[in-house]
Amino acid sequence: MRLLIDIAIAIAIAILVGIPTAWLAVERGNLFGAVTAGSWTAWPGAGSPEADPYSLAMLARTGEVPLGAGEGLSFTADTDADGMPLSGRCTYRLTGQTPAARLWTLTAYDAGGRLMVSPARRPGFHSREILRDPDGGFVVTVAAGVQPGNWLPVGLVDRFRLVLRLYDTPLTTGSSLAELVMPRIGRADCP
Amino acid sequence: MKRTLAFVLGGLLLGGVIHIAIVFMVPFYASHDAWAQMRRFGNDGRFHVLPAPVAGAEPLASLDPWMVHVVCRFSLADGPVRVRATFPDEFWSVAVFDRRGRNVYSLNDRSAERSGLDMAILTPLQMAQLRQDPPQSLETAIVLELPIVSGFVLLRAFVPDDSATALATGLLAGADCAAEL
Repeated sequence: MRLLIDIAIAIAIAILVGIPTAWLAVERGNLFGAVTAGSWTAWPGAGSPEADPYSLAMLARTGEVPLGAGEGLSFTADTDADGMPLSGRCTYRLTGQTPAARLWTLTAYDAGGRLMVSPARRPGFHSREILRDPDGGFVVTVAAGVQPGNWLPVGLVDRFRLVLRLYDTPLTTGSSLAELVMPRIGRADCP
Repeated sequence: MKRTLAFVLGGLLLGGVIHIAIVFMVPFYASHDAWAQMRRFGNDGRFHVLPAPVAGAEPLASLDPWMVHVVCRFSLADGPVRVRATFPDEFWSVAVFDRRGRNVYSLNDRSAERSGLDMAILTPLQMAQLRQDPPQSLETAIVLELPIVSGFVLLRAFVPDDSATALATGLLAGADCAAEL
């Protein structure tokens, strides 16, 4: 009887530990191989033949096709520079520089990773069309209402996500990820 | 008490095994992965232009709305696959994935050093057979020896504005992944 109870305890622990941790690791985004810079996170390993099992499981669940290492690297931001979640009711200013890349695009997604419904029919910005300061820097204003300059419209949603895709960047070919400089997402106005 | 503790430890270890087993099995049981979703674009063995990613109607998750995408699901079971495509004079890239969504090869236009793509995908066995009598037509092609049975090729071409979409779509619609070696 004691033995049966012990076995039952062991099995219960195994199930209670194994299944929820696996679910969390796959569903909540993978914890391994992430590179963060400010608000931005990327998984450089996900687009390579050496991709870790967590990345592969996550990609299989979402149906996402990652950028290969020879194509580029995709950075995601869910929070502003202070760590607060990005909200469609606030106004944000992206300032600074992007890492070296031949081309980059900036796109707004909702919290579930779907493209933002934009009344302005503008999915985002790319590096060729952006208005720059004389020193090469740029400011992108992310807000629901019309803004002058580089305006990235978002819906009036509680949460949204920004994705910066760098195409043909030395970051994927061994260039140092440690001194990565990404644009700062500063909250400008929040009613 | 000591024995119960041993069973608790054993349970934790078994939990770790279950965790690892689930994570490894997810790609094999996922019914909504990229490969499965691509079926609705059309038959295997040829390229299909994906509808432009717009809000509410994205053909695949997380596609860049500034790119035109074409995909081809291929199988190496019946022989090697030759991929040929021409692109507009802008950024373009190629990614080859295996059946489970693992990226096995990728390349962009600058590293390709030419305006078109000519690529052959072979299994190691097909490669060994090919080496005995290499066809001349492969001399300028990128030859990929990949240990996979099936997979898909995704081509991306950058469209800086709406006026460039028609040209890019037209060129990519002519991409071919069924040509003879």
